[in-house]
Amino acid sequence: MDINSRPVVVKRMPERLNSRTAREFLRDVQPFLHADRPQLVFDLSQVVQLDAAGVEMLLRCMSEAHKRDGDVKLASLSDQSAVVLELTRTERLFEIYETSTDAARSFSGFLPNAMRQQLLHNKRPAAPAAA
Amino acid sequence: MDIRGLLLVNSGNTRQEDLSFLASGPLGVLEVAGKTPLERMAERLRQFGILPAAAVVETTAPAGTGISIPSGLHCVTSTPDRFWRIAENAFNDMAQNGAELVVLIRLGSYAEIDFEQLVQFHLDQGSRVSQVSHQGQALDVFCISASRRNDAASLFRSRLNRCRSECPLMEHERLVNHLSCARDLRQLAIDILTRQTQTCPAGEEIKPGVWVSPGAMIEKGARVLAPAFIGAFARVRTGAVVTRCASIEHHAQVDCGSVVENSSVLPYCYVGAGLDLAHSVAGMRQVANLRRDVTVEIPDPKLIDLISATSGKRLLTSAAEFLTYLPRVAWEGIFAGGKQAQPDLNTALRKTSPALGNAAGYETPACDTEAAHKFPNMVVARRYGHQ
Repeated sequence: MDINSRPVVVKRMPERLNSRTAREFLRDVQPFLHADRPQLVFDLSQVVQLDAAGVEMLLRCMSEAHKRDGDVKLASLSDQSAVVLELTRTERLFEIYETSTDAARSFSGFLPNAMRQQLLHNKRPAAPAAA
Repeated sequence: MDIRGLLLVNSGNTRQEDLSFLASGPLGVLEVAGKTPLERMAERLRQFGILPAAAVVETTAPAGTGISIPSGLHCVTSTPDRFWRIAENAFNDMAQNGAELVVLIRLGSYAEIDFEQLVQFHLDQGSRVSQVSHQGQALDVFCISASRRNDAASLFRSRLNRCRSECPLMEHERLVNHLSCARDLRQLAIDILTRQTQTCPAGEEIKPGVWVSPGAMIEKGARVLAPAFIGAFARVRTGAVVTRCASIEHHAQVDCGSVVENSSVLPYCYVGAGLDLAHSVAGMRQVANLRRDVTVEIPDPKLIDLISATSGKRLLTSAAEFLTYLPRVAWEGIFAGGKQAQPDLNTALRKTSPALGNAAGYETPACDTEAAHKFPNMVVARRYGHQ
């Protein structure tokens, strides 16, 4: 069995994620993304404002990580960020965990309980009956 | 017998989180499937011969702006602090003008009450004030003998919480919607579109279960699946899908490729291109997500925006778009290097929202990713079936 010993970087995202702060954040995480097989967790618990530029930045980070055979996972989504990710059809691209710890642990092993939580949360209610 | 109706609309029982939707007035004056609950209740009173009716509406906006007033209804707007005093004055005016009974309704709850039964109950009981209840819970619907001004005054001064005389309750068993939060607003739209109510959507039923109001524009390539409602001057742009009891209110706009599923888009709301709006109420630059039970502000106008209610401003915006269109096309024609290849269906299904820009070329799978990886040539239709 392959034991993962590479570091997992957990970054807390800023409260407001607009084009300016997204650029700054991207600059901050760039060195981690350029490492070999980067493993990043973004903690979105403090995000109160997320716009299209912020989502674009998340996708850019994921794309960069994938190029180097790494991954970016999201944790502790605030209500605001969860709604915007769902609205822009991007929530399905990321593994999303309840806590940063779960997200970090998921790099070294499959966490069925954490995944089950996520699936239950995303379960759609039945459509209303048509007339 | 002279029976008159008095409708009160305020935000008294609205949930704190949903107050943000009240920029244009309380939930009772927000349109649901083309008409406000106030209009629907005024229509119902008219059907039962309760005429004339008057309304007192709480608003923070300048007198009457942004509130759709039904024809044949005398409507007075009021600030929140003077609301109950004006309501009491309206009652007294009715009594002075010869009313014998006044049916008082606060929206509040939208209930399809049998007013004939209520009046009969009131007369049978011989009481001064009668009230309607639903499942043992009192509703803000009363029948008051107009000559009993002191009883009415005590009722208004206690904000309909207390009556000084005995107040018998008439049990109502049909539909009641408390209209206290975005979820109730959504539920009312579902009930109207699925014909669980006696009232129906405004506009013409262009095909079974699809109601369209005059001036609405559904562009070629857009898909509207029953039951759905498209309000007056609303616009559903090409590639958009409106489905599962979705209600697009007047002057709202759903941009290209967006999916509106089991959601209400409030008047003058713009839903950006390529978005998924599901189980939500969108408007006033807010989205109330009903699955998560949360209302969030969307500051990015590319996602959710508020279209100007002034026709002049809308005209100017359209003119600016039109004037910049030709130079933009010419620029793209010169520098984009010829015509772009038409993307195939598999590519189209994996596109992110155009509102996000290129996003490093990453594509969102709109269909089953696992299956798509295993069978790259397989075309997986979206669950909405529009492609």
